[in-house]
Amino acid sequence: MRKNQTNSQFVAVASIAAELSAVMDVAKEISLAAANAKAIAFRAGEKAKGFQPITDFINELAKDTIELVNEINQHAMQLYQLTVDEYRMTEAHNKFELAAKYAKGAQYEQSLNAPRLKAQQNMQDCLRQFNAHIAQLLDQLGEVMHPARAARVIAANSRIEASQAGEYLQSLQAVAESVDNAAQVIHDNVQRCRSALSFITITE
Amino acid sequence: MKMTKIYEGSYQWIMYGRDENKPNNIIDTNQYIVRTANRCLLIDPGGIELFAPMLAAVLHHAPVEQITDLFASHQDPDIISSLGLWDQALPNAKLHAPAIWEGFLRHFGCDSIEYVAIPDNGGVIRLENVELKIIPAHYLHSSGNFHIYDPNAKILFSGDVGAALETPGAPMYVDNFDAHVEKMRYFHQRWMPSNQAKRNWIERVRELDIDVLAPQHGRVFKGDDVRRFLDWFEGLQVGTAV
Repeated sequence: MRKNQTNSQFVAVASIAAELSAVMDVAKEISLAAANAKAIAFRAGEKAKGFQPITDFINELAKDTIELVNEINQHAMQLYQLTVDEYRMTEAHNKFELAAKYAKGAQYEQSLNAPRLKAQQNMQDCLRQFNAHIAQLLDQLGEVMHPARAARVIAANSRIEASQAGEYLQSLQAVAESVDNAAQVIHDNVQRCRSALSFITITE
Repeated sequence: MKMTKIYEGSYQWIMYGRDENKPNNIIDTNQYIVRTANRCLLIDPGGIELFAPMLAAVLHHAPVEQITDLFASHQDPDIISSLGLWDQALPNAKLHAPAIWEGFLRHFGCDSIEYVAIPDNGGVIRLENVELKIIPAHYLHSSGNFHIYDPNAKILFSGDVGAALETPGAPMYVDNFDAHVEKMRYFHQRWMPSNQAKRNWIERVRELDIDVLAPQHGRVFKGDDVRRFLDWFEGLQVGTAV
C-alpha cells in the first residue's frame, strides 16, 4: 500500500517538473513576444501609441511567471528529496518490522525496539512534511494562474489597440494572439500540475 | 539463515548464509561477523533483499547498539546495497570501505553512518583487543577491493576470491576439493579480470598464516584446502571474456 503510494509520489513530482519546464518555455516565449511587440509599436509610432504600455505589461507578466516558476521549481525539488527520504524511511520501517518477525526468540531481539520506534517516527514525520509541502505547492501553483489570467485580459486589450494601428494591425494582432495562446497553455499546464498533486492521497 | 561459528576464542567469527527465504534469482552470499565482548563487525553485510534476515540472524549474537562497524570489500549490490537500511538501524556505526568507491556507495544512502575510506594500500580495523588487517585485493574482481586477515584466528576473508556458484543449501565447508573446482572455474575466469593482479595477490597471501579461507559466495576452505586453492588459482588463466 505505502509502496504504491510512494511510487505515485515519484510520478507526481516528476510530472510537475515536466509541466513546469513547459510553463517556463512558454513564459520565455511571452517575454520574446513582448520585445517583438515593443519594436513594432515603436515603428508604428503614433498609430500604436495605446499599444506601447501594454507591451511593458506583457513583459512584466512574463517576468512574474518566470520568477514564480523558479520558486515552484525549487519547492518541487524539495518535494522530490522528501519523497526520496520518505521512500527510504518507509523501506526501513517495513524491513525493521520484518526483521523483528524473523528475530522472534533471538537473544537480543529486544534491542531492535528502539530502531523500530525511531523508524516509525521518522516515517510519520516525513509524511507530515510531505503533506505540508503539497499544500504550499498547490498555493504557489494557484499564484501562477493569476498572471496567466491577467495575460488573457491584456491580450483582449491588445486586440482593441491593434485595430487602431493601420498597416501594423496584422503584426500587433499576431502578438495579441500569441500572448493569448501562451496564457492558455500556462493555465492548462498548471492545472495538470495541480491535478497530479491532488492525485496523491497521503495517509499515515 | 544458517549460522556457523568458524572461530571461537576470546571473540568469535560467525558465518551467515544459505538463507532459505532468499528469492531464487539473486546470488547466494555469505556474510560474516567478528564479535568481541562489546562490539561487532559485519563483513560484507549483503544486499537489500537480505537485510531483514541478516539483521534478525545477527540479533542471536549481538544487540543492535553493539553493531559498531561494517566492512564492504567493494561496491557490488550483493555486498552492500543494504547500506541505506543499516544507516537507519545503526546511526553511530562506521563503514570501512574502499576510498575510491565512497562517492558511489553513498548512492545507497549513508547519512548517519561514518564512511571510513580505506586507502589503496589497506589498513587496520580495531575491535577492542582484536586487530584485523585490511589486505588490498584490487582487480579481484573490483578495481577497489579489500580482504580481511585475522592473524590471531588465522582467517582470511577473501571476498569473491574462492567463490563458487552453488546449488541452494550447499554445505558450508569444502569437503572434496577436486569436485569443488568446477564450481569455481567459471566464476574466477569470468569475474576476475587480471592475471597480474591475481599473481600479486597470491604472492602476498602465501606469506600469511591461514587456517581458514572464507569467501563471500560458496564454501569455506580449511587446512590443506587453502593451499590447494592457492595452487589451483595460480595456474588458472583469468579475464577470459576478451
